[in-house]
Amino acid sequence: MLASLKRLPGASWLIHPVTLVYLVVIAIWITAGIMKPGFARIGHLRYLLELAAVIGIAAAGQTLVIIAAGIDLSVAAVITFAAILTPIVSVGWDPTGLLGILFVLAITTAIGAVNGVGVVLLRVHPLIITLATATILQGSLLLIAGGSAVSTTNPAVVWLGNERLWGFPVTILTWLVVAAATLVVLHRTVLGGWLYAIGTNPRASRLAGVNAPLTLITVYAISGASAGLAGLLLLGMNRQGYVGIGEPYLLGTIAAVVVGGTSILGGRGSYLGTIAGAILLVTLTALITVVNASPGLRMILFGGLVLAMLLIAGRVQETR
Amino acid sequence: MTGAALQLRLLWQRNAGLYGLYLLLIALLAVYAWLHPGLLSVAGVARFTQNWFPIAVVALAQTLIMLMGGIDLAIGATVSLGCVLAASWIGDSYGGAALGIALAVGVGAVIGGTVGAIVALLRIPAIVVTLAASFIIGGIALLVMPRPGGHVPAWLSDGLAGETPTALVLLLCLLVAWRILQATPLGQDINAAGNNPHGAFRSGVNVARARIVAYAISGALSAFAGVYVAAQTGSGDPIIGGPFILDSITAAVLGGVGFLGGIGAFRGAIAGSLLLAVMINVMFFLGFPPVAQYIAKGLIIVVAMGLRLLRER
Repeated sequence: MLASLKRLPGASWLIHPVTLVYLVVIAIWITAGIMKPGFARIGHLRYLLELAAVIGIAAAGQTLVIIAAGIDLSVAAVITFAAILTPIVSVGWDPTGLLGILFVLAITTAIGAVNGVGVVLLRVHPLIITLATATILQGSLLLIAGGSAVSTTNPAVVWLGNERLWGFPVTILTWLVVAAATLVVLHRTVLGGWLYAIGTNPRASRLAGVNAPLTLITVYAISGASAGLAGLLLLGMNRQGYVGIGEPYLLGTIAAVVVGGTSILGGRGSYLGTIAGAILLVTLTALITVVNASPGLRMILFGGLVLAMLLIAGRVQETR
Repeated sequence: MTGAALQLRLLWQRNAGLYGLYLLLIALLAVYAWLHPGLLSVAGVARFTQNWFPIAVVALAQTLIMLMGGIDLAIGATVSLGCVLAASWIGDSYGGAALGIALAVGVGAVIGGTVGAIVALLRIPAIVVTLAASFIIGGIALLVMPRPGGHVPAWLSDGLAGETPTALVLLLCLLVAWRILQATPLGQDINAAGNNPHGAFRSGVNVARARIVAYAISGALSAFAGVYVAAQTGSGDPIIGGPFILDSITAAVLGGVGFLGGIGAFRGAIAGSLLLAVMINVMFFLGFPPVAQYIAKGLIIVVAMGLRLLRER
C-alpha cells in the first residue's frame, strides 16, 4: 500500500519519515488528551513546546554537524558551562544584562570553533576532540563555580526564559527564529550544500572545490553557539545553573536528530525532522514523568525510550 | 638461530609506531620513581598498579569495541553498575565473594551482549545505542543503590587492593586470556570482523556473532573494573564510573587503536592506560588539584593526535 501511495504524484511527502514523526506526535497528543484531560490543555502543550525549544535549539547545531558526518559530544558540557558562567559574568552596571549574554555566546562559539579546528587541523576524530573539550569544560567549571549552584538575576536571561511576546513564550519564538535560520542555512546557502557534500563523500567534495576546513570550523562554532543559547534559555527557565543541568541534553540532541530522519553517518537529513524529533522526545518524556518515578527509573525510561525510537527510526542500511 | 632473528624482527615491526609511546612511558616512570622512590618496592608497585588496573581494564574493553569499528559510551555506567552490584552482592565468606563477583561480571556480560545484539542485528549505530544504554545501565545502578553504600569484606579489599601486587597478577592473567582468545576461531573471527567486515562476511565469518561476543566480553571487563573499584573503596557508588568513558577512549587512542576498526592491540591499550595512570600519579604527587587532572586528560589526547599528525607528515 505504501508503495502504491508513493507512485501517486505529489504524495511522496505523505509517507516521508519526517511527516510520519509529526503525525505520531499529533496522534500521541490526541490520545493522551483523551486519556488524561490535563495533557492536551493549551497551557500544557505550550509548556511542552518550551521544553522542546531547549532541545531543539541545541540540536540545531548538532544537526548541521551530523549532516557533515561529524558529532558533537560537548553539547551537554557547553549548556552547563553557559548556565553557570552567565550568572557569574553578568555585571551589575549593565542593567539590560545583554553584555553577559553576548560574552557567554562568544565564548561558547569559540569553544565550538576550537572543536572544529581540532577536527580540521589536528585531524582528531570529532568524537574524541568534543569529548576532550567536554572534560576540560567540566574541570574548569569546578574551578569557576566550585560545584555549587548559582542563581541569576540577569534581566535579559530571565526575559528569555519566562516572558511572553504577543501571547507567545519568548523561548518558543527564539526557537522559531533559530529554526528559520537553520533551515535557510541548510537549504538556501552554499554552506548548506557544502555540508551535505562533505557528509556524503569528503574526498569528492574536496575535489569539487568545497572549502571543507572553513565549513567544518563554522558548523562546530555554530554548534557551540546553539548549545550556549540553549544553556541561556535553560538558565532563564530555571533561574539557576548547576553542574549537571545540561546532562540530559547530549542524548536528547542526538536522539532528536536521528529520530528526525537525519543519518548519523552524515549526508542526509534536515532540521525539519529534528524539530519533530525534539517535540516527540519531550512529549514521550512528559508521558513517562506522569508516572511518579525515582531518578534511577526515570533514567532507565528515558534511555529505553530513546532506544525504542532509534529502533523504529535510526536503522542504517548495511551493504553486504 | 635464524628463526629467533626472524621472531625478533617480527616483534620489532609489530610494535613499530609505539616506540615513541614506550620511550615516553619509560621517561615518565623514571620521573615518577625519582619523585617517589617508594615506587620501587613490592608495596609501591602494588599501590601503583591498583591505580592503574581499572583504567587498563576499561581500556581493554574499549579497545575490543574499537577493533570492531564501534565505540562504547556505556563503559562508565557499566563500571558503576559492577561497583554497586559488588557492594550489595559480595558475601563475607570466600564462596559468597566468588559468587558475588561472578554474578556482577555475568550481569556485565549479559548487558554488553544485549547492547552488541542491538548494534549487530538491528543495525543501529554503536554510538547512539551505547549512549542510550549508558542511561539505562546508569539508571539500574541508581535503582540498586540510590546513594553510595554497601560494603565489601575487608579481607577482599586487602587481597585485591592491599600491599600485595594482586592487580599486576590479574593483568598478566588478562594478557594470557587475551592470547588464548586470539588463538581460538572466535578470536580470529573478531579480528577479521573488525578489520574488514564485508570481506569477513563473504569468507563465512559470522560477523554478527563476533560483534555480540566482543560487546559481551567488553561488558564483562567493564563490570569487573567496577568490582575492583568497589574493593578499592570498600563500598559501592552508583556514579563512580563517569570518568572512565573518556579514560578508556584516551588510553585506547594513545595506544594507537584506530577509529575505523581493525587497528590496535592489547599492548597498545596497556601502554596507553599506563601512560594515563603515570600521568595522574605524577600530577597528584606534584600537588596539582584534582581539577587539573580533568584538563590534563582533555589536553593529552589532543597533543597525542597532534604528534601523530606530525609523524605522518
